[in-house]
Amino acid sequence: MGYAGPRDLLEIDLSARTWRRSALSDDVFADALGGVGLAVRLIDERVRGPLDPLGPANPIVFAAGPFASTPVPAANKHALATISPLTGLLNEGLSSSHFSAVLRRCGLAALVVTGVAETWTTIAIDGDEVRFEDASALQGQSARETTKSLRDAYGDRSLRVCAIGVAGERGVRYAAVENDGRQAGRGGTGAVFGAKKLKAVALRGRGEVGIADPKRTAAMAATLKARALGPKTAKYRVLGTSANLRVLQRMGQLPTRNFTAAQFEGAENVTPERARESKDSYVELRAGCAGCPVQCEHLYVRRDRDRRSAAASEYESVWAFGPNCGIDDLDAVLDAIGRCDELGLDTISTGSAIAFAMECGEHGLVPSDAFGPALRFGNGAVLLPAIDAIATRRGLGDVLADGVRAAAQRIGGEAERFAMHCKGLELPGYEPRALPTYALGLATCTRGACHNRSATYDKDLRDPSDDRADGVRAQDAIEAEDRAVAWDSLVLCKFVRDCFEDFDVEAAALWSAVSGIELDGAGLRAAAQRTWERKRAINARLGWTPVDDTLPPRLFAEPIGDGPNRGKRVEPERLRSLRAEYETLRASAGTALSVG
Amino acid sequence: MKVELFGMARALGGVAHVELALDEPVALHDFLRALAEALPALVPDVIEPSLDAFVEPNLLLLDGRRAPQAGESFVEADRPCVLFLASGG
Repeated sequence: MGYAGPRDLLEIDLSARTWRRSALSDDVFADALGGVGLAVRLIDERVRGPLDPLGPANPIVFAAGPFASTPVPAANKHALATISPLTGLLNEGLSSSHFSAVLRRCGLAALVVTGVAETWTTIAIDGDEVRFEDASALQGQSARETTKSLRDAYGDRSLRVCAIGVAGERGVRYAAVENDGRQAGRGGTGAVFGAKKLKAVALRGRGEVGIADPKRTAAMAATLKARALGPKTAKYRVLGTSANLRVLQRMGQLPTRNFTAAQFEGAENVTPERARESKDSYVELRAGCAGCPVQCEHLYVRRDRDRRSAAASEYESVWAFGPNCGIDDLDAVLDAIGRCDELGLDTISTGSAIAFAMECGEHGLVPSDAFGPALRFGNGAVLLPAIDAIATRRGLGDVLADGVRAAAQRIGGEAERFAMHCKGLELPGYEPRALPTYALGLATCTRGACHNRSATYDKDLRDPSDDRADGVRAQDAIEAEDRAVAWDSLVLCKFVRDCFEDFDVEAAALWSAVSGIELDGAGLRAAAQRTWERKRAINARLGWTPVDDTLPPRLFAEPIGDGPNRGKRVEPERLRSLRAEYETLRASAGTALSVG
Repeated sequence: MKVELFGMARALGGVAHVELALDEPVALHDFLRALAEALPALVPDVIEPSLDAFVEPNLLLLDGRRAPQAGESFVEADRPCVLFLASGG
């Protein structure tokens, strides 16, 4: 039996205003599965050498999750890949919900956009039809406003839209792309949209999505759904990811004031659990992706404010504007998150850029009044002016809009020491100095400092002994990377990862039932490894070398100064040894590159 | 023995910490039974109904730094915490 799902590839050239639709072969799906695997394969075929991420040749690839618009829960997701203007390397993000499902209902497995439009454009895909529509009137609108405008224009409330906000229009190198209130945030895909003068992609599709074995799929989906409603995901349903804040504070692993401390004295004031417990002051709202039983998103808003201004309280976002900026005012933090969503900015990179600027301000490297209120750690009043200046590229905001790596080079002096990034992507909210395997994963991650591509901190926590062999840690990091690729190719939400008893076997069986292409656990692992190899090969073509697989200097030079992990730092020789073990193990699978 | 609670354990137990009447040092098996007895709401979302393990990814960390090894006993001075980590998406 051939691939049962939607198999079309739609290629759009914005410069020529042309489009071409073709069918992908069974071999492509057997090789790459879907989602990130398919997106990376399509990038690999098109990016054969260095290119300008903001130029016409850079492709934007949407690749639907192969379980989207099927009964499989937590799987209405798609991958969004391009060459990042922040890192200059491959960037593959994920988004989810209705847009992902409708992509498949348009008969599409993937959509590739190249070229540059002459004027602001919306790509409208209506089943088999493609139109290029003038989006000049949408300029300056948020993604949410753009969605409303397009729905009003079409007279269709079910129209599904992904769009950029002001930050993407202005080319902020960590601008996000939003659909259905979900963001593909990291790495600046929104700036690539902006460079192409692509304001939005609007979808309308009502086609059937084929499933090879509906009965078997329904049975397995029901099992997964039942598990996803059980204790394995209770933490997300009841508390959300922001529950990490209190935990990491207790563990002394809460990066604070741009990684100058690992515990934040004001942590308790900004934990959204506190808002949840303060029912007199805050309203808690719940949200989630289409077709997901977990509904993980917890939004908060003060009782005296419009509920439409409720802000999502994801851990990374709260961390970025709270502890990382030394700010203990929950309202200021929630307002900052809401403003980023409105302007279309990645919250991690934006918070990191502001924390970087605060440290520069305290050291006299930038004017402390660059944004009006004093640019220093702990001053919540500076967040909104700084975010606005970044999104519109005004003054110091224009410098920060290129990311902390580029900003440090422009500012000079000590600034480089304050720039917390890997390969140009700003660090997320975990403390690598206390988590050696996680530190290795951050360094080797093809995307830069991404916590969702090598989440190995569980291993560090459960076995913290220093005598754990480097080879074991390297193997853990490799398995975590490959496992993440498998998740992201199928594309299943990682929040249901504990709902599988044997992920490789069960996920492969699910793929076989849905797609009609037989796969076993070993085949799934092999497919993931192929995609990982492609990621690295693409990066190598773009100029990456193994010496780029490193960490910010601060993590080597400055030990943690407080809390249970006081004195810990990343030993340069230790990271070198871990990387050598990592490369040796990758070499055994035929993916070696010499360690620089 | 004083035990700090975070995440689901705190949400379900309704307290930030709990005192357990235990002879020290205590093994994980006895600790789990005492914790379930003190806070029955932790079963089954945090502690397995068999009372012999935490529901992953809940775990016990000593001083928030390390999980006790198999067969290892611990005391209050080790500062036991029940917590979990959540990430991804």
